[in-house]
Amino acid sequence: MARPVESCDVAVIGGGPAGLAAALGARRAGAGTVILFERERTLGGILNQCVHDGFGLFLYKETISGPEYAERLIEDVTREPIKVETGAMVLDLTSDRLLRVNSRQGYRLIRAGAVVLAMGCRERTREMIEIPGTRPAGIFTAGSAQNLVNLQNLRIGNEAVILGSGDIGLIMARRLAFEGVAVKGVFEILPWASGLERNVRQCLMDFAIPLELESTVVEIRGRDRVESVVVARVDGALAPVAGSERVIPCDALLLSVGLIPENELSKRAGIELSPLTGGAVVDETLMTSVEGVFSCGNVLHIHDVADWASFEGFAAGERAARFAAGERAASGTVRVSAGPHIKYALPQLVTAGKAGVEWSFRVTRPMRNVRIELKGRTSGTVYARRKFARLFPSELQKVRVREAIKEDIEVGCHE
Amino acid sequence: MSERALVDRMTCVLCPVGCELEVGKDAAGELQVKGHQCDKGLPFAVEEVLHPMRNLATSVPIRGTAARMVSVRLSRPVPREMLFPILKEIAKLRPEAPVRRGQLLIADVLGTGADVIATRTVA
Repeated sequence: MARPVESCDVAVIGGGPAGLAAALGARRAGAGTVILFERERTLGGILNQCVHDGFGLFLYKETISGPEYAERLIEDVTREPIKVETGAMVLDLTSDRLLRVNSRQGYRLIRAGAVVLAMGCRERTREMIEIPGTRPAGIFTAGSAQNLVNLQNLRIGNEAVILGSGDIGLIMARRLAFEGVAVKGVFEILPWASGLERNVRQCLMDFAIPLELESTVVEIRGRDRVESVVVARVDGALAPVAGSERVIPCDALLLSVGLIPENELSKRAGIELSPLTGGAVVDETLMTSVEGVFSCGNVLHIHDVADWASFEGFAAGERAARFAAGERAASGTVRVSAGPHIKYALPQLVTAGKAGVEWSFRVTRPMRNVRIELKGRTSGTVYARRKFARLFPSELQKVRVREAIKEDIEVGCHE
Repeated sequence: MSERALVDRMTCVLCPVGCELEVGKDAAGELQVKGHQCDKGLPFAVEEVLHPMRNLATSVPIRGTAARMVSVRLSRPVPREMLFPILKEIAKLRPEAPVRRGQLLIADVLGTGADVIATRTVA
């Protein structure tokens, strides 16, 4: 006997800052039935463990902590007739928008008029950066340490070394200092900090925690528990410099070495992914290469501010609702590529003739007194030019083009 | 940590322009700020050098519920040197569920004028 197939207008996968906003965006744009799937027992995603201040400046015009930001969005979702399913894991997504879900009611099939992907990201691990040495206890990704300390009241060690200067690592340096853990230093392989400058100042400098650039951990030592790490300087090719090794005794190593959009479901649906972002290739409506499937938040590209993930969620939810109602974008797309010093620009596709499109982009290295140009690849026409006194890879930036774009364009950063 | 040289470089974080500020002392011992493109930058730099203000967030164990912790923060920033003394006060807290987001846990902590408030609802 065939399993019954339920249906909904919009299915949102993931209940963090992007997914919550997507469910709201879909409702506000008139979607009838909206289901929000979250695999954890509670909504909010990573916000729940981000107890620090600094969220909400753009969405709520005040600075609040992660849990407060989450609760406010959750309250908005609860006021709407949105069906929230927590403890529900979406196992599979097909290109014709059939979801296979392991839910509290068991295994179910749901056909969605439109789908919003908001699964977030996960952290890179020791294995992915291949640090040699033993495999003792005491090695944590910064986010898992944050979970243990902030949500489970566990002490992760007495003396910690942090590899990588991503924002979570910086935030955790301060958190550990508050908990009386000696933070021996933050080591960053690049010549610049990868986290926000504000965090370098308020999380490291305030507590006299050293930040060593162009250096990395080359070995982990210890049998049952981390006993020390060996750090070394690196050369211009990021290779360790022989003779520069230093042993740092510690019993915990935190890794803050990057985030990866979690796109296993996207791959199953056959969605085209970008090697530059690790997320889906999308058009200006945030629709992926699979019709009716939209993407937003950290599963699309890594954000440094939760508010931008939510704004993307609102937009993706609204577009999903309109797609579910039968609206189709005009065909004919132009491709957008990343030019000089641009790590990526998003969206990567735009409907030909579309005006008023806004791009998010990141630069590849810190840049000063530069101009960002969006230039036609055929005609050489500059569609938009914006000057920046400074640009950092850690800061997602935006640029908008007023006029209609009719040819492939390149986003470039010029000195 | 409390003592630092009265000459500092910083990026202004008040808006996305991010002016790079240099704070120096002139011959008369007056603080001089360079690099700000608007008039908010000067008081920002002087405050950051003379008495930097910080907010504080942490979490404390909670009783009477499945959740182990409730997160807390200050209602407004306090002088940076007050962070560790305030952490000691927060460490004495043993709130009992239910706790509501925004609930007052310590009023005017150590006379700073800032309250310690819960930042999540624990039923």
